[in-house]
Amino acid sequence: MGNKSSLLLREEEIAQIQEETGFTPNQIERLYSRFTSLDKNDCGTLSREDFLRIPELAINPLSERIVQSFFAESHDDRVNFLQFMRVLAHFRPIKKNRENKLNCREEKLRFAFSMYDLDSDGKISRDELLAILHMMVGANISEEQLTSIAERTIIEADTNNDQMISFEEFCRALERTDVEQKMSIRFLN
Amino acid sequence: MTVDGISTYPGLGFGPMGPVEPLPGEPPGTQLRQNQDTTTELPTTEKTKKERTFVIAAFEFHRVETPFLIGLWIFFASLAKIGFHMAPKLSRMLPESCLLVFVGVLIGALLLSTHSVHVQPLTPDTFFLYMLPPIILDAGYFMPNRLFFDHLGTILLFAVVGTVFNTLTIGASLWACGQTGMFGCTTPLLDMLLFGALISAVDPVAVLAVFEEIHVDEVLYIVVFGESLLNDAVTVVLYHMFEAYTEMGPSRLVYTDILAGLASFLVVAVGGTCIGVVWGFATGLVTRFTNEVRVIEPIFIFVMAYLAYLNAEMFHMSGILAITFCGITMKNYVEANISHKSHTTIKYTMKMLSSSSETIIFMFLGVATVNNTHVWNTWFVLLTIVFCSIFRIIGVYIFSAVANKFRLHKLNRVEKFVMSYGGLRGAVAFALVLLIDPTVVNLQPMFVTTTIAVIYFTVFIQGITIKPLVKILNVKTAEKRKPTMNERIHERCMDHLMAGIEDILGKHGNHHMRDKFKRFDNRFIRPFLLRNYQGAEPKILETYSKLAMRDAIEYMQRNASTIGNISGAESMSAIFKNYTNTNFNGSPSFSQIDTSTWNIDMQELEYNPSKKDLTDAKIHHLLAEELCKPFRRHRRLSYSRHAVNERDLGIQVNYKTHMNIRRRVGDRKHHHKRSKRGKQDGKNHVTFPEFQQNGSAKQFTHDYIDEVLQEDGEEREVRRDGDDGGITFTAKSPLPNEDILEEDERRLSDDNDNYNMIVAEQARVATPTATETMLPWKREEAEGSGALKQSEFPSWASNKEYLAYNSPSSTFLGGIEKPKHPKSIIGLFRRESSSSTQGAAEAVVLSDSEGHRESTSKGEASSKDGGVRQGPSLLSKRSTSLGGPSVLLMEDVAHSDPLGASSRPASIMQGPQRGQCRRGSMMELTGSMSRDAITEEKCCKSLPESERMGVRRLPLGQSLGREPFIRQLTLASSLTTSSSSEDSSDENT
Repeated sequence: MGNKSSLLLREEEIAQIQEETGFTPNQIERLYSRFTSLDKNDCGTLSREDFLRIPELAINPLSERIVQSFFAESHDDRVNFLQFMRVLAHFRPIKKNRENKLNCREEKLRFAFSMYDLDSDGKISRDELLAILHMMVGANISEEQLTSIAERTIIEADTNNDQMISFEEFCRALERTDVEQKMSIRFLN
Repeated sequence: MTVDGISTYPGLGFGPMGPVEPLPGEPPGTQLRQNQDTTTELPTTEKTKKERTFVIAAFEFHRVETPFLIGLWIFFASLAKIGFHMAPKLSRMLPESCLLVFVGVLIGALLLSTHSVHVQPLTPDTFFLYMLPPIILDAGYFMPNRLFFDHLGTILLFAVVGTVFNTLTIGASLWACGQTGMFGCTTPLLDMLLFGALISAVDPVAVLAVFEEIHVDEVLYIVVFGESLLNDAVTVVLYHMFEAYTEMGPSRLVYTDILAGLASFLVVAVGGTCIGVVWGFATGLVTRFTNEVRVIEPIFIFVMAYLAYLNAEMFHMSGILAITFCGITMKNYVEANISHKSHTTIKYTMKMLSSSSETIIFMFLGVATVNNTHVWNTWFVLLTIVFCSIFRIIGVYIFSAVANKFRLHKLNRVEKFVMSYGGLRGAVAFALVLLIDPTVVNLQPMFVTTTIAVIYFTVFIQGITIKPLVKILNVKTAEKRKPTMNERIHERCMDHLMAGIEDILGKHGNHHMRDKFKRFDNRFIRPFLLRNYQGAEPKILETYSKLAMRDAIEYMQRNASTIGNISGAESMSAIFKNYTNTNFNGSPSFSQIDTSTWNIDMQELEYNPSKKDLTDAKIHHLLAEELCKPFRRHRRLSYSRHAVNERDLGIQVNYKTHMNIRRRVGDRKHHHKRSKRGKQDGKNHVTFPEFQQNGSAKQFTHDYIDEVLQEDGEEREVRRDGDDGGITFTAKSPLPNEDILEEDERRLSDDNDNYNMIVAEQARVATPTATETMLPWKREEAEGSGALKQSEFPSWASNKEYLAYNSPSSTFLGGIEKPKHPKSIIGLFRRESSSSTQGAAEAVVLSDSEGHRESTSKGEASSKDGGVRQGPSLLSKRSTSLGGPSVLLMEDVAHSDPLGASSRPASIMQGPQRGQCRRGSMMELTGSMSRDAITEEKCCKSLPESERMGVRRLPLGQSLGREPFIRQLTLASSLTTSSSSEDSSDENT
């Protein structure tokens, strides 16, 4: 697999990705091999099915949203490697000297925010929150309870009384959370 | 002091069943102890007095010497501890451990100078068998699991490799120095390694004692603390290994022995962990079945953890690992199963035990210093200290460099420094060094002295300086806070997200593993170990319930003024009128809210007439329903040794109480059971033809105690008899004949409902029933049936008397009913007041220490077929005992009250004016309250929250699963109540 990936990935592509995402060439190659192994059809792009074929992901309560986040920028329901890398770049750990626009705190938060924002209108409505809660909590809790939890959550974060959580409100609500830490993955070199 | 009777030594004078006859052989007088508390009321006293002459007072110390001395030690150690905190300056400068050691030295010096008692209190056996387990259990049980497992890799690296490194380097360096002859004695390599093994281990007790006070960042804390816990296995193995090698002698040592040592390490560590985990699961399983005997719940946690410890020690495995993992494992399951009170008990007991054994350990260390014959070898001591410090630092830097390669959060320089500086040695090393057989290792006395010196160095020098250093170095200190709802949910969401990303990357990192375990746990473990398994995200619910409770309290406090305004003398009818007016006119603000974005449900919009009560009901739901259901798990986010968070407890308690009520109201099975029991013990239930009333003060108290002891949470399981409210009102009534009842009748047909309520809770109990009922039926039966429904309110609710007892909710309910059945209400009212007051009154007085009878027992009508319905009875001591009756009551009432608003004010007035206000117009109050609330929306945040929530929840509430069912139940019961009341009132009029 490693051979194949390095064959398919040209130097300039790597350089471009590296510049845009901040991944090292090694990481890019590693991720590319993962990308190709997910790509069962060998067409250079991933479909939703390709993602959902990962067994653990399939049972992740938020799998739908996670996969969807990869398709946010694509128009044809396929994800190419660059888009794939752009999404993953959000999860690079932040290093002091190497600031990158994709993995800064705000971008991480924006990514988390997009998990909730089903209709991508920039706001989390109660129903959207409820939907996510549903996915996470499962069936054992009464609807009513979830609803009130969702409402409580919105009210807590809602500073302008529009019954929605805007991105700014979202950030404020997570002010004390170590998002940089929580939303980072150590990518192997 | 014995005056004229016999004060029998308690241990002999009392059998399990009370006083027993003294054994024929020994005269009772021999058992007397002068300073024993006198038990004058012994029935046997006089008899024995006549029969024989005996010494009135005697002194026999020997018999009780050991336990008495132990008691004295504990007593003085605790006294010393109190003393430190009386001197704030001292305790701010010095860590507690230093002061305790110091006191120990003083006592030791005293004992030494008197020569009277030769005490060697800190023997390895007492230490390892009795003093260490509570501390480690406390550490394991309150271990922040997630943090611990997130950093497990680093911790293991330090605990295993780091400890081995330290042992070898310290041992080898000392040996090398010994070769130069500077110690003036032969220092065999194996002896030095043995010493290195025991001296290199970071001590959990010392680390806890110091780190608890400096509040460092949680990551730093967990790494050092985790290391100190887990290195036990390594230390024990290395120690035993070198001890065995020493005994064998270096000449006969073959390499297989070294391999055996390696294998033995695995066995000791893995075996200990496995034993702990198994016992942990077993504890979880056992507590699943303790709901009938709540009192003994805590003992399982302690005993089973201790058994795990002993079990591991039995096989020469690491007891510390066993008990740590036992605590870690059991915590999640146990906390879900046990009652809140048990949880509090466990928490306090654990803190108490660990804190006192820690106190004693440090004090004994001090005592041991003075009492031992020391062999002081300056060079050896100095070099040991130097090597310990140096190799600790080197080790930390090496291994943190290694760990940083794999860590997301890199350990920075300051953290590394604190880690190396925090490598404190303590009592474990001391106990181990005492275990060395001096006949095998000649240098043992020197080792003991050196160990003590090292301990003193770490405890005093490092312990004292670490606090200022942490400040100077600006180490991130831990902020203790409760997560907000947003944080909790979003963090959970992020966890899932990260696990998903890891899966996509094909990486098996922390998130992946945790996710995997959680899935496994939720699917296979929890359902078996938990009594009521509550879905995948208990923590979200937990957080929610806590926050909602806090909101409720805040809301009450904010609205205290509103509540004060209630006028006391309104007549019932005025109240009713007010209420209905408010209902139907609705306040403008409400309609606004109703039509806002989320309320798109047409049916909801049509159901305008009772916006008011819907709102109220929702507030109620906010305050009550939501609060009561969530899974209860009370754990602190960060571990603290000696502090139990008061506020935390308070909230939990209330919450818990509330759930109790919920259960009472909603539990049908329970009703079944109660009714059966009611039939069985006729003695308690005196049956009158129409109204039945029973309950004496005695029964009440008894029941109350039972209740307190075995509160069992949200369970809807059948409960044991006699644990409910003491005073029971039962009334036989003809069959209810209302149409509305039909659907409920199906459920209730053979169901003799009993209502058990405790006085303090009474108000809430009554209310929830009504409110909850209200919403569902209104929804189900559409708008037209409103009038009809009103008859469903229990008749007792309209009783003026009860109003006076400040049960706002019932007032309110009654209010609805009144227009419909004016006659019946009056009739009933009279009737009930006459019949129930006598019984009820005493109960009330009894229940309420302050004499306000906020909770009245209400006479209650029973269901059809002569079913026994128990009137709500009392309790409120609970609330008083929980500190601040007013707050509690507020909560209680508010939560359970369907008309949240109406009840809230009432509860607040419990102050001076309660008596007057109580009678006041609840209706008016409700109206004004909610309006106030809305207007206040802009200025205060939390208040509008609840209000809005209340309103909003409307549309969604319809499709619920469990909720409606409960409502149905409660509806059913209230229906029956009202019907029966009608009947009785008919008779009256």
